[in-house]
Amino acid sequence: MAPEAVRASAAGAPDAWSIEPARAGAVEMVRELWRYRRLLWFFAIEGIQGMYAGTSLGIFWLFARPLFPILIGSFVFGSLLEVPSDGVPYFLFFLSGMSVWMLFDRSLLWVTRSMDQQRNLLKKLYFPRLLVPISAVSRALVYFFIYMALIIGTAIYIFVNTGRWYLAVGPGWLVAIGASLMAILSALAIGLYTCVLQTKYKDVRFGLRYSMGFWMYLTPVIYPISQVPPNLRWVIYLNPMASVVETFKWSLLGVGQLPVVPLLSAMLVVTIVGAGGVRYFLNSEAASVDDM
Amino acid sequence: MSLTIENLGKRYYLERSSEDGGGIRATLRAFRDRLLRRAAPAEDAREFWALRNLTLSVDPGTILGIIGPNGAGKTTLLKILARVTLPTEGRASGSGRVVSLLELGAGFDADLAARDNVIMNAAMNGISRSEALDRLPGILEFAEIERFSDAPLKHYSSGMYLRLAFSVAINMDPRILLADEILAVGDLAFQERCLQKVEESGRNGLTVLFVSHDMEAIMRVCTKVLWLDKGQVQKIGDPEEVVGEYQESVWSELDPARSERGRQSSRFAAIRGVKLLNADGSEIGAAPLEQDVFVAIGFEAFKTVSVKGAIDLNAHRQLVFRSQDEDFRELPHPGLYELRVRIPAHLLSDITYQVSASLTTLREGQGRHYRLNAYDALSFLAYRQNQGVEATKRRPAKTGLLAPRFDWDVKEVTPVGA
Repeated sequence: MAPEAVRASAAGAPDAWSIEPARAGAVEMVRELWRYRRLLWFFAIEGIQGMYAGTSLGIFWLFARPLFPILIGSFVFGSLLEVPSDGVPYFLFFLSGMSVWMLFDRSLLWVTRSMDQQRNLLKKLYFPRLLVPISAVSRALVYFFIYMALIIGTAIYIFVNTGRWYLAVGPGWLVAIGASLMAILSALAIGLYTCVLQTKYKDVRFGLRYSMGFWMYLTPVIYPISQVPPNLRWVIYLNPMASVVETFKWSLLGVGQLPVVPLLSAMLVVTIVGAGGVRYFLNSEAASVDDM
Repeated sequence: MSLTIENLGKRYYLERSSEDGGGIRATLRAFRDRLLRRAAPAEDAREFWALRNLTLSVDPGTILGIIGPNGAGKTTLLKILARVTLPTEGRASGSGRVVSLLELGAGFDADLAARDNVIMNAAMNGISRSEALDRLPGILEFAEIERFSDAPLKHYSSGMYLRLAFSVAINMDPRILLADEILAVGDLAFQERCLQKVEESGRNGLTVLFVSHDMEAIMRVCTKVLWLDKGQVQKIGDPEEVVGEYQESVWSELDPARSERGRQSSRFAAIRGVKLLNADGSEIGAAPLEQDVFVAIGFEAFKTVSVKGAIDLNAHRQLVFRSQDEDFRELPHPGLYELRVRIPAHLLSDITYQVSASLTTLREGQGRHYRLNAYDALSFLAYRQNQGVEATKRRPAKTGLLAPRFDWDVKEVTPVGA
């Protein structure tokens, strides 16, 4: 398509291209992604518009869907079971944990479905296919911003009623943004495998949805890591999302401790899995589009 | 050279059924084999080459028509050049932007207005937003949709869609334009302007690859024609010559390779081909909705027999209807014949149809019927002619498999007891 997008052959005009069985190298791939970057925006907007297209209470669902499970969850875990929450009101504690967990959860599920959902376009037009899973994160981001709005709203409500302010203000927010990025990158790292597999096996999405339920309980979302016996914490921290969620809560609410070593190891794991994911995706996308 | 293709080949694997180990298990097994570095089983008889050893070069300014029967590799070739699919072997090289117009509406979002769609298409061709906005007036003007530029595309008629798609493609400054069939539809006036534009750009070095079943359009437009068959070049050269030879072969060739798709000959008769004709009896590639068209089953009778024809019209993998002759028709003597069935105007919808034909023969004195089948013997597109913007403005975007015109009436009803 675009001349610049195609691998330039060694000889000839500057806009010469050549189509061969092998894919272009990594540098060329990054350059190509950059050239097609504007498409990312279109795909992202398209995804968001599709979320509640055709519903008459669009905006209402946008807020209601995250809010109701949180209300019920904080009633059950906070009020009935009295799960400790590091001295922060349980509702706020739960909301913070859920916001970053759901960012991961939703991203992974949307990324997994992304190739399948864009099959019509993929079969007819060329563009760097990596844009499809990457842009699928947009929907999860919308949820995340809604969670953030709920968190700030709740903090203000508590402040007005009790005079206590729980949210950390200052450079800690930068760490929170970093943790959110980690959640997205973790989802993409796994999603790059699952979105290719999903085009062939529809079981992938259901299997994933099923395991995400367990995964959440292995992650300190509804409970603080301080409730886990210190000699067992490393087990919890084998799960990269545990350090992401803890870091997020630490930076936002100022509770717990920054899990430095687990966070570094999580970064390492995500980098390795992600690099493998990019490789797997690039090696198999062409065949999977052919099979669609 | 604007486009050079060397030994290009594309292999597909036919879908395995789950019985012989398809699905997740086969994948896991293949994965295990790969881990253990075992050689892949050597069978794979189910592979097939949609295109193989294709070598050709095209000069700038050529309008190359690509013809051939279904499954000849025409679309595969365009898809490789559009980079939608990767070749299995060989290479294609050239210079300049390649723009594809492979399917109506591909790359357009029905919920977005024309303006946003132009920007999105430009992005797909690596053109910036500001440059796209610069080109927007020209695009809308050529497509004659200035007045509808803010309406979402779902309210457009197929004619408007086509005009927009073509106008966008040609305004992306392509050096190579890939078009699959769609240039053959639309009203004649717009077709004429498209061709003018294509010729004009051809003088500036634009190369067009144009796939169509519409031989009339191919001969009118193309400067050179490539005839593909079973993934290989059958002939390339002067349009009239190649098209003439191709039509002859379709008409006369008793294709043994197609035997698995239905028995096309017996000792009594053989189906020679299925064509779409207009009222004058000339072959056409696309059916105008406003006119009667005819499906003709050409056959040769080897003996004096009676025949009965039937056609199945399919669209979107569904049987739209079957039309069958009422009774057997006696042939006076052996020879070449054509059974024709009229498809009335205002019945079809503007979609692509596939036709399967069958011919049942009955020999005097023998009780047995022989049935010959030609599956998917013909595929054609039905289109709305003379589609003015005014007339189509309120046309609903939804299309059924048929769009018959029925009689409507309004009557005043006297209430009971009044």
